[in-house]
Amino acid sequence: MKKLIVIIVTVLALTGNLLAEKQTLQIEGSTTVGPIADAFVESFKSNYPELEITVKKTGSGDGAAALVDNRCDIATMSRFMKDDEFKKAVDKGVFPVAHVIAMDGVCVAVHPSNPVTELTTAQVRDIYTGKINNWKQLGGLDMPIVIISRDTSSGTYETFHQLVMGKEQMAAGVEYVNSNPQAHSRIKTTPGAVGYIGIGFIDAEVKALKIDGVEPTKETIISGQYPIARPLFLFTNGYPKLGSLVYKFCTFHLTETGQEIVEAKGFIACTKY
Amino acid sequence: MRFFIRHITDKIFTILTVLSVIMLVAILAVILVPMLRKGLSAIVFNGTIEFRKMQLDLFSRGDIDELKNEDIRSRLYRNKIYETIESFKQNIDSETLSDKAGVIYRNFGKELQRKNIKGAEYQKLRSLSRELRDKLQAVFKSSDKKFIQENISDVLKFKNDIAFKDTSIDGLFVLAEDFASDIEHIDLSRRQQYAASLKELENIITKLLGPNPSLPVPALKMDRYGATRRDIAEKLLNRLLWLEQWQQDSPGKPMKRVITPRAELFAGTEIEPLFNYIRENLDEILVFKPAFYWQYFIDDSTPGHYFGGVWPEILGTVFLTLAAMIFVFPIGIISAAYLAQCQSDNLIIKIIRMAINTLAGVPSIVFGLFGLAFFVLYLMPLFGGPSKPCILTAALTLAVLTLPVMIRASEEAIRSVPQSYVEASLGLGAGKLTTFISVILPAAMPGILTGIILSVSRVAGETAPILFTGAIAFGPTPKSIFDPTRTLSYGSYDIAIGDKLAALVPHNQYGMVATLIMLVFCLNIAAIIMRAKISRKLKGH
Repeated sequence: MKKLIVIIVTVLALTGNLLAEKQTLQIEGSTTVGPIADAFVESFKSNYPELEITVKKTGSGDGAAALVDNRCDIATMSRFMKDDEFKKAVDKGVFPVAHVIAMDGVCVAVHPSNPVTELTTAQVRDIYTGKINNWKQLGGLDMPIVIISRDTSSGTYETFHQLVMGKEQMAAGVEYVNSNPQAHSRIKTTPGAVGYIGIGFIDAEVKALKIDGVEPTKETIISGQYPIARPLFLFTNGYPKLGSLVYKFCTFHLTETGQEIVEAKGFIACTKY
Repeated sequence: MRFFIRHITDKIFTILTVLSVIMLVAILAVILVPMLRKGLSAIVFNGTIEFRKMQLDLFSRGDIDELKNEDIRSRLYRNKIYETIESFKQNIDSETLSDKAGVIYRNFGKELQRKNIKGAEYQKLRSLSRELRDKLQAVFKSSDKKFIQENISDVLKFKNDIAFKDTSIDGLFVLAEDFASDIEHIDLSRRQQYAASLKELENIITKLLGPNPSLPVPALKMDRYGATRRDIAEKLLNRLLWLEQWQQDSPGKPMKRVITPRAELFAGTEIEPLFNYIRENLDEILVFKPAFYWQYFIDDSTPGHYFGGVWPEILGTVFLTLAAMIFVFPIGIISAAYLAQCQSDNLIIKIIRMAINTLAGVPSIVFGLFGLAFFVLYLMPLFGGPSKPCILTAALTLAVLTLPVMIRASEEAIRSVPQSYVEASLGLGAGKLTTFISVILPAAMPGILTGIILSVSRVAGETAPILFTGAIAFGPTPKSIFDPTRTLSYGSYDIAIGDKLAALVPHNQYGMVATLIMLVFCLNIAAIIMRAKISRKLKGH
């Protein structure tokens, strides 16, 4: 036993000494932007193999907090920084700069067996405030509405809350889930469900509704016709030094490969090659 | 009578105990067996040629020559698919056809200049060829068969014109003739519909067979290969063959799933037989072979755990667990010794014990937040380090989390050492410290190891405490304890919430969880064996 401990301690101590100077990049934040960051890292790795990049995906709010604490180099966020986050950052001498890397549409989705195909923003708001609680009121079937929302720390929730709910509170019976895949699987297994998820998660198993008569597609989102759309951000402390690693990462979406990755991940690129 | 009742209650008690044991085993079997069985499918499965290509490219593994042969054979079958789609696409894709006509017209213009034809002759040929081009382009756009046939025969009248003999305009005639023969089988009004259906079909084929080799290589590794396993291939084949639609029978009724053969969308066209062709030749196209992918345990993975294994996660989990144990072991034993040696149960001891018991009941996320605030944000900068999460801070947080378990188990073990041992040691003239180290500790070791076993299982599986203190979803393998790390527990969480990729590779999700179970199992077995050895030594064997 003693020998074992001695061996372990030596091994750990030795590995600790290997701490050599290397270029590292810490990325933290949104679960929505995380997969894009992952994919960027993969592509980056082939160009700069000596790089050490880590990605954490816990939520936009955590990304903002980490940037404020100087715990990460880049915060991935699916919403803009809030006033108090900005204030806290500036107080600590961190000056957040936003880089928009892609666009995302938040789709209101239902079970494919639901005959309703179109809602207005006001109707969606009434569903989430509890004023409408049966699909019959919307010209659908006689079926109670099961309302699915993302958790309140998610950027998708913030976007939805801001663009659809305005200042109104969500009803008490709303079911909160903490990720896009979870929302997706709740909707696809519940015939009466309604929820909101990123456009990349729309597939044959859930149906995206037209909102105010506009179908969520790449074209309607980028042109601003579709009402519930948002940019996805990378936040850095100040504008990164030109030519630095952070700079290269934050401008990677402007390259042709960057655009291909953004599109492969189901988001809408800001560039058109 | 009384005896009889006692007999009955005894029997009932025995039956109940047996039943509860059976239930426990059944629950374990229900939870663990499917988990391990599905996890095993990450290692043992029916692999395709795409899997072997991926292994060769990403991990330089496998027989290159054999793979080349397989590839050549499977290409023979694949090419037919690509060719059929390509030729069908030409007929429905009016833009490409129009472009082709445009290029031919421009080439003809250059040809005339090269041949040095000038003046009225040049003007005449030029305008005539422009007319032909415009006519053809109108034909490609139209969906009226009569209009098309009339215009094509108009164009073909010039085929034998001397002026166009052996020039690039010949290409226009070939284009027109091909188009005329092709459209006989195509319903032109459905051209747009065909285009949309074909796009979907091509998407599924790309997922099944990998990207078309004539196109540029995709940027992401996950898009570079087709279906790597038989189960995925069959799922995709199903999607390829059957079209799922939702239709409403009558208003007021829920929509129903209607499944029709996808081939119906292309009825009468050259695409229709392709579906049967793929179904019948799937074996030749994908070259299934049983695969034993034990390297799952030693491979790194691509983002979202799409390809590859769980080596960095295993390494991180073991590292974290060992490091946490190194902190817990001495602190736990010393605290336990203090609590056990103090005979008098005064107020301070009572408070300490209460604190430890309370600590054992604190939710793990609270430890996580404490670790972030104390170790990462306060202690690390205090010792001059960057306030970034790493293995060290995560291990310390886990150590705090598991300390109560360790203290309580060790205290019990130390207390259960017979007083006579201590008295004998003291009687021989040994001091308190010597007695503790050389008599009490060895005798209590089996009990302390029980505490370690419990702690190891807890530490290896915890996610919440390391969420903010050292775990990452994606990053390099840690090189020192000052790097953050991937772990099996956080990896399982990430794979479930992070990305939509997880739904595409369920075997990897199960594989990771099964690995975690097996790892904890192995660590436990190791500790149990060690405990048995020490016990035997104590008994004097």
